[in-house]
Amino acid sequence: MSWSAFWLASFVVAFLAFSLISLLIAVRGVAEIRELFAALEEERRRKGS
Amino acid sequence: MSAPAIVSPFSWLDGAIAVLSLVATLWIGVRVKRYVGTLEDYLVASRGMGLYVGAASLLSTEVGIITFMYQAQFGFVAGFSAFVVGLLTLAVCLLVGRTGFVITRLREMEILTVPEYFEKRYGRSVRVLAGLLMAVGGSLNLGIFPIIEARFLAVVTGIPGQYLGWTMAVLLLVALAYTAIGGMVSLIVTNYVQYVFLAAGTVVVTLVCLREVGWGSMVGAVEGHMGGRGFDPVADLGTGFILWQVLLWIALMTVWQSVAMRTFSTRDAAVGRRMFTLTGFLFLGRALIPMAWGIAALAFFWGRSAPAVIPEAATPLARIERLDARLGETFRGDLEAGRLESALPQVDLLERLAREEASRTPEAFRFVARAAERKGEIGLLAMPWMLAATLPTGLLGLVLAGMLAASISTYAGYFLGWSAIIAQDIVGPLLSSRGAAVLSGDEGSATPAGPSGLVPSQALGMTDRARLRLTRVTVVALTVFIMIWSLVYHLPGPAYFYLQVTANLFMAPTLIAVVGGLYWRRASAAGATLAFVLGALTSLAYLVPSLKLDVATAGNLSWALAVAGFVAGSILFPRHPLRDPQEGPS
Repeated sequence: MSWSAFWLASFVVAFLAFSLISLLIAVRGVAEIRELFAALEEERRRKGS
Repeated sequence: MSAPAIVSPFSWLDGAIAVLSLVATLWIGVRVKRYVGTLEDYLVASRGMGLYVGAASLLSTEVGIITFMYQAQFGFVAGFSAFVVGLLTLAVCLLVGRTGFVITRLREMEILTVPEYFEKRYGRSVRVLAGLLMAVGGSLNLGIFPIIEARFLAVVTGIPGQYLGWTMAVLLLVALAYTAIGGMVSLIVTNYVQYVFLAAGTVVVTLVCLREVGWGSMVGAVEGHMGGRGFDPVADLGTGFILWQVLLWIALMTVWQSVAMRTFSTRDAAVGRRMFTLTGFLFLGRALIPMAWGIAALAFFWGRSAPAVIPEAATPLARIERLDARLGETFRGDLEAGRLESALPQVDLLERLAREEASRTPEAFRFVARAAERKGEIGLLAMPWMLAATLPTGLLGLVLAGMLAASISTYAGYFLGWSAIIAQDIVGPLLSSRGAAVLSGDEGSATPAGPSGLVPSQALGMTDRARLRLTRVTVVALTVFIMIWSLVYHLPGPAYFYLQVTANLFMAPTLIAVVGGLYWRRASAAGATLAFVLGALTSLAYLVPSLKLDVATAGNLSWALAVAGFVAGSILFPRHPLRDPQEGPS
């Protein structure tokens, strides 16, 4: 495999992985932020009571 | 006839998209303030961060406009060889993610900053010394971000020079506002939104590059411009540089404060490890994608250029001198107007002639160096100029929103990271003189004992509320410093080297002292102190011109001397069984 083909393959992997994982983050991130808020709220209530 | 100047098509629509994205970020960041009650909420979001927002937060913090610029510059000057750094980053992330090297142990200790570990392991003086070096190196590192990023904004938006300072000030203030108010909770939420903008902008720019230039032209430009060296990283960059990058990335992924804070913020050590595995591929993209933009910019301007003409003169050296003088008259103007197709062939010609002549006349070496410096300057601005020349109105606004999101999230993450060090590891310990006894008193809001059974040492003498206030004040002070520094400081050379030297000031000794502390029972405070002193001095030696150290040699030397100092200090001055802290390897 030549250097040129190797770098092309690396770039394709990098670009596809970046795009797919970003999509995954955009979709799954919302639920995680809701969970974080719920946990912080719960802790605040626990400390307040 | 000189080439026409590039005029950015930036319009009110683009401006509106960018401003709206900023307003939305600020609004979201400030709204989450109600969730912040304690210092732990503020610095590590009560350790409730999940996998996907963790990855988004980590990447948003470590990607700013400056990252895109220096990575593109690296691709421009080194071609595809630069890609090796991205592959090394992926390998390091996967290694850390799979093995949990350092991060699992630090996460389980439930600390807030890396130097906090040093107090537990080596004592307070090491904590303060490490904190001081980190604060100085980190703040100086952050201090040039606005200088570089202002150049990007000037090119892409066409904002006149007199408004650039104000523009950067507004960006810093937006980051300051929600960081000071909401801390890590604000950061996690805004980082998520910013990541979506950043990722969209990155994908758009990549597709535009491939459509405008094409992969074949990029390969052709590197071949024509650099030959085999543009593809073979060992021949181009050398094994010394590659070794140093491996060490540097291991340190960055484990003990660099803004990265470590994300580890400390995860729900548990397992989520931290999975976050690194997932982020490894994002870090691969963080390197390779902007490097490819830099190569595309090289192909873009190289394809538009005409061959430079060799000036008439009696001797080869005189021809070189005349060419250099001609460049001296036109280079700055060409760079500021985007006429890179004029400047690039002349700089290339100067470098080629000077290299050929240097074997006969050593005096020609200075022209080789001058050509390389100018090529670096072109490389820094080539990518923004290509974007200004190719992106249409509307898309430019979307890309700018992505770039601004990347930048503000970096400022916010670094403000919190470095101010946490300043407040918790320098000012806090120095201010506290009342000792641990206060914790058993009536100051009930002080942080309770961690899982190790030890009271977090930074709590000594200060209530949780006081530490939170101190950290917020430090965030503000740091922002003021960055604003002033970016106004008064002028970069002496390439940004990449400045960034490496300031980071090197503490990276090697920090990782060595952490690894030694965690895994070597005989590691002592004297060893850690010696590692910090020698590691920092070697990095500073790079700034002494008479020593003629290149950046990779200075970097590797810093690691070697820090290891030597750590081992020698620990063996010669071992831990005192009664006086020294007891938290060692288990």
